[in-house]
Amino acid sequence: IPSPSLLPSQTQWLTCFFPIYFLAKPTLPTNFEENTWATLKSAISSIFLKQPDPCDLEKLYQAVNDLCLHKMGGSLYRRIEKECEAHISAALKSLVGQSEDLVVFLSLVEKCWQDFCDQMLMIRGIALYLDRTYVKQAPNVRSLWDMGLQLFRKHLSLASEVEYKTVFGLLQMIESERFGEAVDRTLLNHLLKMFTALGIYLESFEKPFLERTSEFYAAEGVKYMQQSDVPDYLKHVEMRLHEEHDRCLLYLDVSTRRPLVATAEKQLLERHISAILEKGFMLLMDGNRMEDLQRMYYLFSRVNALESLRQAISSYIRKTGQDIVMDEEKDKDMVSCLLDFKASLDTIWEVSFSKNEAFCNTIKDAFEHLINLRQNRPAELIAKFLDEKLRAGNKGTSEEELEGTLDKVLVLFRFIQGKDVFEAFYKKDLAKRLLLGKSASIDAEKSMISKLKTECGSQFTNKLEGMFKDIELSKEINESFKQSSQARTKLPSGIEMSVHVLTTGYWPTYPPMDVRLPHELNVYQDIFKEFYLSKYSGRRLMWQNSLGHCVLKAEFPKGRKELAVSLFQTVVLMLFNDAQNLSFQDIKDATSIEDKELRRTLQSLACGKVRVLQKHPKGREVGDDDSFAFNDGFTAPLYRIKVNAIQMKETVEENTSTTERVFQDRQYQVDAAIVRIMKTRKVLSHTLLITELFQQLKFPIKPADLKKRIESLIDREYLERDKNNPQIYNYLA
Amino acid sequence: MLVILVLLYSPEGIEALCSAVGVDHTDVRMLMLAWKMNAEKQGYFTQDEWHIGLKALRVDTIGKLKKRLSNLKEEVMKPENFENFYLYAFRYCLTEEKQKSIDIESICILLDLVLGSQFRPQVDTFTEYLKIQNEYKVINMDQWTNFFRFCKEISFPDLENYDTTEAWSLVLDNYVEWMKEKAKLAAA
Repeated sequence: IPSPSLLPSQTQWLTCFFPIYFLAKPTLPTNFEENTWATLKSAISSIFLKQPDPCDLEKLYQAVNDLCLHKMGGSLYRRIEKECEAHISAALKSLVGQSEDLVVFLSLVEKCWQDFCDQMLMIRGIALYLDRTYVKQAPNVRSLWDMGLQLFRKHLSLASEVEYKTVFGLLQMIESERFGEAVDRTLLNHLLKMFTALGIYLESFEKPFLERTSEFYAAEGVKYMQQSDVPDYLKHVEMRLHEEHDRCLLYLDVSTRRPLVATAEKQLLERHISAILEKGFMLLMDGNRMEDLQRMYYLFSRVNALESLRQAISSYIRKTGQDIVMDEEKDKDMVSCLLDFKASLDTIWEVSFSKNEAFCNTIKDAFEHLINLRQNRPAELIAKFLDEKLRAGNKGTSEEELEGTLDKVLVLFRFIQGKDVFEAFYKKDLAKRLLLGKSASIDAEKSMISKLKTECGSQFTNKLEGMFKDIELSKEINESFKQSSQARTKLPSGIEMSVHVLTTGYWPTYPPMDVRLPHELNVYQDIFKEFYLSKYSGRRLMWQNSLGHCVLKAEFPKGRKELAVSLFQTVVLMLFNDAQNLSFQDIKDATSIEDKELRRTLQSLACGKVRVLQKHPKGREVGDDDSFAFNDGFTAPLYRIKVNAIQMKETVEENTSTTERVFQDRQYQVDAAIVRIMKTRKVLSHTLLITELFQQLKFPIKPADLKKRIESLIDREYLERDKNNPQIYNYLA
Repeated sequence: MLVILVLLYSPEGIEALCSAVGVDHTDVRMLMLAWKMNAEKQGYFTQDEWHIGLKALRVDTIGKLKKRLSNLKEEVMKPENFENFYLYAFRYCLTEEKQKSIDIESICILLDLVLGSQFRPQVDTFTEYLKIQNEYKVINMDQWTNFFRFCKEISFPDLENYDTTEAWSLVLDNYVEWMKEKAKLAAA
């Protein structure tokens, strides 16, 4: 075609004529498409039939290229599709009725699939150009690979027996593996990959697989729960879950992991939670089986069953604790049992329950509940336990150990609702330790007080601290007394005395006990009194003789001894300075010690381990007609002998009076609280008054007790019942 | 009439009055008479009480008094009078200076006398309970009033609407508990 510049002008165009030459369009050979296809078809057929094809791949590729260039892609695609379908269909049909043996059959399916994949890849290689041009441009046309998969899927489902047998075989194999047989996992892996590739994994495999799993574990769970004990069962469950997890890594599709594990958990655990707890929880707790408990915690947490476990802990603690607390015969060991129990629970909580906070609170609550199951007694026993620990003579306990014990006991103390009972007994024992010089360590004593202070505030420990102050002050007073002129000039010789001056109110109240003191002691007391009152005028001194203790020098025919005795014992023993033999009545008249106390005192001198007196007739009890004589045959390996243990011992009267005082105190507190409330409210309903009282009172009390106090106040005309509404009280100013 | 009048101001006088009107001195009607006369002290009528009382009763002979006594009961039993009478009965039995409560034995007799006709089963069980318990030796005014309220308000013998968390006296709480315990034993 000439260049436009050579073209004549428009006008010239009309007048001149130049001959124009057209190039002839190249024409295709008439059979081009058919012939090319024939080549391709034969090649595809050979691929499927696994026969060598004479035509090399380069040429085939070119052939596809040519067809596409000549816009024959569409028909080529359809022809390839049709050709593949015939072969795929044949391949799958050939599997029908194949081997009865499932594994063999599955291998055939695997082989078929593997072949199909190889073949389709090869065909796609040849027809790559088709994939890149026609398939891309035409809407809704699958790539050759996908087309192949779709055909495979179609004919697999048409040959339903094949699909069914495959799935069945797979399930069978997995079940065999669950029963412990070794199976060809690669085979499983490949076949399942096939399902995934075909997009029928979920529907055709996973669904029946999960159903089968569910049935399998449902049966197994029931059976194993019956057969094995809980720890073994839990171990088994853990192993099963682990296996299923591995199964997903090895051959199942990743997406199956969640539903599969959930199914196993549901059948093996969830359904048996209460049975597991009922059958084995106590066993594990009692046996302190940390590892098994940890397993239980871990497994239960997987199925959100920790709440059930928490409840089981709670009832376990309550039940076990009840046995410890309620059995009066075990009172002696109650505190140490509780301490051990708490320690073991704490360890289990730490190791097995991964310090779960809710569990921690549960343990606390349950402990609080159980320790208050019995009123007052646990508080008393805790105080006594501390007394034992803080008392001198605990050999082999280091300061640190003691400190640790105190801390642990404090944990129990925290749970006690009636802290006033504890205080009363603690105070009583502390007083004895301080006054009789039996405290193991003043540092430990003070440390305990400061702990109580942190726990309950200074109001709680004010009086206890006051006791320590009194003791320190007494030391100073004794020093200055010794140096005073009164002491130097007037004191009888041969006696040394030290006095504790105690502030009333800080110390427990002691019943006054009469005793006729030997002259020397009386003189001594009078001189001290004179000295003290000259220093602190306006005070009143009362001698508490029951708490006094002495060291006596005794000349026994078989040796000299020093006797550590109580003041009462002293008074009795000193009678024997002037007499060999005295009747009970003689001693009673001479000392005027109260009858019961005197019997106790004589018992300790004549019937205990150390017998400095001889009782006639012999026997444990002191009778009215008994007589006592100085034991001149007395021997003992040690020079200094303690006979005053009776002072440290708590008498029944002491115990009841301490408890009674606490109750008396509570009554006053209730009365005061009622009056306080009514004074501000003037008019209040019964229910509201009771509610407010429960809020204000810090010790456990029954509604009936409150009623009693209200009625007493009505009786004493602090309150009255409203004339019109008996449910309402009026304050009477 | 004159003889009686002379003796009236002493317990012997009351006894004489009783025999004259033909009523036992422990009869509830004597208590009602005392209430009507507003007598302050048990076993005694003062002259004023006697005069004002007789006027109020509109009687001037023993014969009339005898007649009047029998219909006095109707007057007392009227709801508007009964509570007043009930409270009076308690106060009437307080014989000592500053006495606030009455011993169990007397209370049982008194309950039988004043409530027996209206609340027989309540009175019987309550007095039975009072006699076997040993927590309370006496009953005070508050407890006395409470029991009357109990008889009026609580369905008996099922005690269904009794609630210990309400302001009932503790002695009633205990009595109810005892009743329930008894019912349980009977059922078993």
